[in-house]
Amino acid sequence: MADRFFTKTHEWVRLEDDSAFIGITDYAQKELGDIVFVELPSVGEKLTQFSRFGTIESTKAASELYSPLSGEVTEVNNDLVNHPEWVNQDPYGKGWMVKIKVDNRDEIANLLDEATYKNLIEKEA
Amino acid sequence: MLKTPVYPRHCEKTSKIVNFSGWALPLEYESILKEARCARTNCVLFDISHMGRFIIEGEGRENFLQKLTTNDISKLKTFSLQYNLFTTPEGTIIDDFIVYNLGDKFLCVVNASNREKDFRWLKSNSQRVVIKDETFNTAFFSLQGPLAWKVMQKVVGDSLSELRYMHFLTKKVDGIDLIISRSGYTGEDGFEIYLPKERAIPFWDLIMEKGKEFGLTLAGLGSRDILRIEAGYPLYGNDISESTNPFQASLDWVVKLKSKDFVGKESLVKILQEGIKRKRVGFIMQERGFPRKGYPIFDSSQEMIGEVTSGAYSPNLDVFIGMGYIKTEFACSGTPIKVKVRDKFYRGEVKDLPFIKYKYYR
Repeated sequence: MADRFFTKTHEWVRLEDDSAFIGITDYAQKELGDIVFVELPSVGEKLTQFSRFGTIESTKAASELYSPLSGEVTEVNNDLVNHPEWVNQDPYGKGWMVKIKVDNRDEIANLLDEATYKNLIEKEA
Repeated sequence: MLKTPVYPRHCEKTSKIVNFSGWALPLEYESILKEARCARTNCVLFDISHMGRFIIEGEGRENFLQKLTTNDISKLKTFSLQYNLFTTPEGTIIDDFIVYNLGDKFLCVVNASNREKDFRWLKSNSQRVVIKDETFNTAFFSLQGPLAWKVMQKVVGDSLSELRYMHFLTKKVDGIDLIISRSGYTGEDGFEIYLPKERAIPFWDLIMEKGKEFGLTLAGLGSRDILRIEAGYPLYGNDISESTNPFQASLDWVVKLKSKDFVGKESLVKILQEGIKRKRVGFIMQERGFPRKGYPIFDSSQEMIGEVTSGAYSPNLDVFIGMGYIKTEFACSGTPIKVKVRDKFYRGEVKDLPFIKYKYYR
């Protein structure tokens, strides 16, 4: 998973050419518990690295979502409106949230790689 | 944090242990939603040993409780349970609780968050009674769901077909003295079991073993909250408190102004004469927005009319539901409302409680 990077706030980003898919990590979905609502931006909205792009609600609490990279939203996973549980079932697959056109690949330097992220969650747990 | 007698069992099954009114209790075992569904399709087991349990003895016990409560204790027969309220002299709610008439004494089951407050209140008003806090000497379990009776049948060797809703019996099982009531906080058929703490773990294990074939699942505080909201039950600290009175809380049926005298009665009579300006109601959301405690409620022209006091996603109805206080003129089933979730308004509708159909065994 060399093309996947993480934030300290438990989002992941997977790069595909100029685009990137964004979601939350398996650790995050486990901590949140049953997801019941996901509020996502619209296609065309501009996201800025580490700023809020949406909200996710579990049975327990509402949490903000922060974008791992800057870019314009080109696709939104609208299936999550009716199937928020997909975030629990498959956080890296059908639980993806938005696809963006990446502004600046240099921002990747501000993200964590898989090994570093694993270390972080081991410390949190 | 305080630990219940079966705390070691919770730790074996889940890491999601939270502080609930000073008690270390499981929030969920596997999934809050799964547990809440299982309670309505099969059965679930809750550890509710955190709830306060007082024994009230002495020849003055009936007059004593009659004076401090809104419901009519003289109507409570031996082997029966009653929902009741303690009110302040101002008529606001000190606590809601269940009282068992054990014949020669009463057992009061109160909210964990109010145990110490209630105990002080009872002590300071006691006359010719002895009040004992048995919370730390006993355990208390709740087995809920349509298959709960089948599990109990295996556990106690008796179908309990004579045991009706809001009644109890005493029974010895494996040498353990049990008080088994047909009651709960879910709207389903179910049982609550009171037993000495020394036998709590083996009895817990016995229920789990006998429940296997019926799909019995452990359930935590998260699903307990969803289930009681679906059933329309208020939770002290959310939906009722010392700043609400029973009429505002839509608990009129628990207040017997005509048949008895009690602390708070004078104020409640006056409150009723002056009129009730806000009322506790249920509502369902017509859009997918999670109504959480504290969110403001608006009418269709976006005028603020109240506030959410409890909310949940109901896995059994697949809709967001809630309770809250709104101006009396809007407190009528079918009235359109809006709930402000963060910066957006979501449409909803006032709905009669409960949201689900009660399945009590009467």
